[in-house]
Amino acid sequence: MKLVQIFGRLTLWKVILGVLLIAGGYAAVIRFAQGLGAATNLSDDYPWGLWIGFDVLVGVGVAAGGFVIAATVHVFRMERYASIARPALLTAFLGYLMVILAVLFDLGRPMRIWHPLVFWNPRSVMFLIGWCEALYAVVLAAEFSPLLFEKLGWGRALKTVRRLMTPLVILGVLLSITHQSSLGSLYVIAPDKLHPLWYSSMLPALFLVSAVAAGLAMTMFESCMSSRAFGRRLESDLVRGLARAVVVVQAVYLVLRANDLLYRGAIGYAFEATPEAVLFWGEIGLGSALPMVLLASRRVRYSNSGLFFAATLTVMGFIVHRLNVAVTGMAGWTGVSYFPSWLEVTVTVSLVALGVALFGVAARYLPVFPKAEEEPETPPWMEPRPRVLGTEPLLTKPALFGLWGMLALGAVGVVTTNSVTASEQAEQVGVEQATQQALITGVETRLSHLPVPEVEDLSLPEPFFFSASEDSPGPVRFDHRDHVDPADIRCDACHPKLFRLTVPGTPVEGVVDVDRAHDGDLCASCHDGERAFSTYDECELCHVEAE
Amino acid sequence: MDYGLLVDLSRCSGCGSCALACKEINELPGDAPADRLSATSWTFLDDRAGLTIKRQCMHCMNPACVSVCPVGALEKAAEGPVVYDESLCMGCRYCMIACPFGVPRYEWDSTEPRMRKCIMCWHTRVKDGGIPACAQTCPAAAVSFAPRQDLIEEARRRIRQHPDAYEDHVYGLREAGGTSVLYLSPVPFAAIGFPTVHQDTEYPGMTWAILEKLPAALTVGGALLAGVWWLTGRREVMEQVRSGELPMEEALRRRPPLVPEPRDEEGDE
Repeated sequence: MKLVQIFGRLTLWKVILGVLLIAGGYAAVIRFAQGLGAATNLSDDYPWGLWIGFDVLVGVGVAAGGFVIAATVHVFRMERYASIARPALLTAFLGYLMVILAVLFDLGRPMRIWHPLVFWNPRSVMFLIGWCEALYAVVLAAEFSPLLFEKLGWGRALKTVRRLMTPLVILGVLLSITHQSSLGSLYVIAPDKLHPLWYSSMLPALFLVSAVAAGLAMTMFESCMSSRAFGRRLESDLVRGLARAVVVVQAVYLVLRANDLLYRGAIGYAFEATPEAVLFWGEIGLGSALPMVLLASRRVRYSNSGLFFAATLTVMGFIVHRLNVAVTGMAGWTGVSYFPSWLEVTVTVSLVALGVALFGVAARYLPVFPKAEEEPETPPWMEPRPRVLGTEPLLTKPALFGLWGMLALGAVGVVTTNSVTASEQAEQVGVEQATQQALITGVETRLSHLPVPEVEDLSLPEPFFFSASEDSPGPVRFDHRDHVDPADIRCDACHPKLFRLTVPGTPVEGVVDVDRAHDGDLCASCHDGERAFSTYDECELCHVEAE
Repeated sequence: MDYGLLVDLSRCSGCGSCALACKEINELPGDAPADRLSATSWTFLDDRAGLTIKRQCMHCMNPACVSVCPVGALEKAAEGPVVYDESLCMGCRYCMIACPFGVPRYEWDSTEPRMRKCIMCWHTRVKDGGIPACAQTCPAAAVSFAPRQDLIEEARRRIRQHPDAYEDHVYGLREAGGTSVLYLSPVPFAAIGFPTVHQDTEYPGMTWAILEKLPAALTVGGALLAGVWWLTGRREVMEQVRSGELPMEEALRRRPPLVPEPRDEEGDE
């Protein structure tokens, strides 16, 4: 078989994909051979970064289209959506596979990824997430299996799976809802750490609703993309249906979000000149409100580029929300900023590329998309502007300008807020110095009310005797009370260099003989005649007369 | 018995022997003193406002880290310490996110990394009735090890005895629902870098409030979905009855129809 037959024609996209996968492979080698520290910018202040914030939180989120469409078709029996159920399922399935890969990158001990399945802790949200991830991946594989059986012509297996489809779909819906909301619950235990614009005990509900919006938008997005890529007609009536659903879900989300912010009294943070506020408005305004308003307009819904643009905005807003929760929202508490390393970005990008590539391969070899034979349904009032759907550019000029404008706005926002925080920091340092001085005085005043400690107040080990050799004038008695100044206790003068701390009775390694005691590395290191009396001064100072 | 540590910041002379003893007994590499907690420094002296502040794991009474660990690698020992089983840990680092005091550290540069934090010398001392190395070593009696209840009484006694010298606040008594490690300070804790955490609230309760509703929610959700599926199926059957395709008696015996796949017409049969 020739290579061309396997890979098809060499296109620019395939070259880019190849380069990304090679880069991802390189990143994987560094990550697994040298550890997280070498590959990432994660630290004790930022234990979770891009891989959790994007790969996991977003990866699972955009897979939500799978359960929503599956339920629409198999539970609510809106059967016309069946034709987009398969691509949505495929996205979800690949999404879950990519998430598992990302988790392998992120776990400190990836070979133990199975541990939550065996060593239980049902009080842990993460435990629940592990189970949901594993079970739903299996359910998705089962939901997707008819495509494979169709391709292979395994009639019996196909029949069995179809009969089981409704229970499978219901199980999948329950697992997925639990999974999506639990990702939000993860952060419910960090009320002091997560910024009040994002922390809420409602996070599970917010995560679920926003994931449904993102999952629907992702299905719209890939319908648009695949109609271009595979030269198919866009199922525009279905995509319009999804668009209407996105409007409703975004509205629910915005109401929940506003309600929550008002209820917790956190809305004020949105009007402060902070990077958090900028990112909050970016997420809410451009990622939720704007696409909702756009898709509510019939003109946008009947334009391919409008649908595509609004879907892209929704997914981008969703990504920003998840990154805000995982990264931005944590910056205030840790006081340290995090930006992913090149290797982290490389892994993320190549995982996305791998997902896209697998989608392409599956779409090429499996019956993912139905063969479109019916005439496009065009509403009568659209007649004056006939469109050959699927050939119209997805990104028209206004949409392009919109996207670039958004990016520029975001950049300006980040730059200005950074300068604001710089000046604020300088101000803070001044204030801090003043309060620090007041504090020191306060500490001194208060401590002056305590009695000055005497040697007797100290908790020092009992005096002890070093073992004596035969020609010794008497054993050496050591008393901490002669060696410690209660006003200036400095244990590190002798510990642990000369004598160990935690092993009383045997504070020295090896045998203490005459030479070592008088000239060696122990007593003589201070008792040299300068810092303290010499070991050759009067014997009775150390050697106690034997009785 | 439920033990704890009382750290009296007014008594600490800053000698650093606690940090040295900690390194020694836990066989941690590197030199003390450190200027922050790290994978190899489980306790350190924080220099603030002329005070030297011994910091380490607070050993919560109901620890967030223990509740969030998906594999149960963390455990609150009966004696009080929060201990860690590295053979279970898969390295998700959720404990680091959940800890309200920001204590757990990680071995970032290892290919077999572990979470690291103070375990109150449980393996080496406390398990067998011993005293943690830091408490044993402290020459100024600034770190005391005793049953937690006794420590609370001792702390209150010191505040009563020297009301001008101490802030009237035992940090750890109510913080995060109570911790095994308690602090006394001459100045407010917020001013010397102690995190302001929820009082009288055990953190695991925050997520448990959600998790405990799950079984009921899933049951109701599953029943609802099954109900909707049955109803929509029924409607399809009844439509056939209404159009005269199907006699009523037959319809009543019918199960809800399967949803056809988009390619059924070119199917395999």
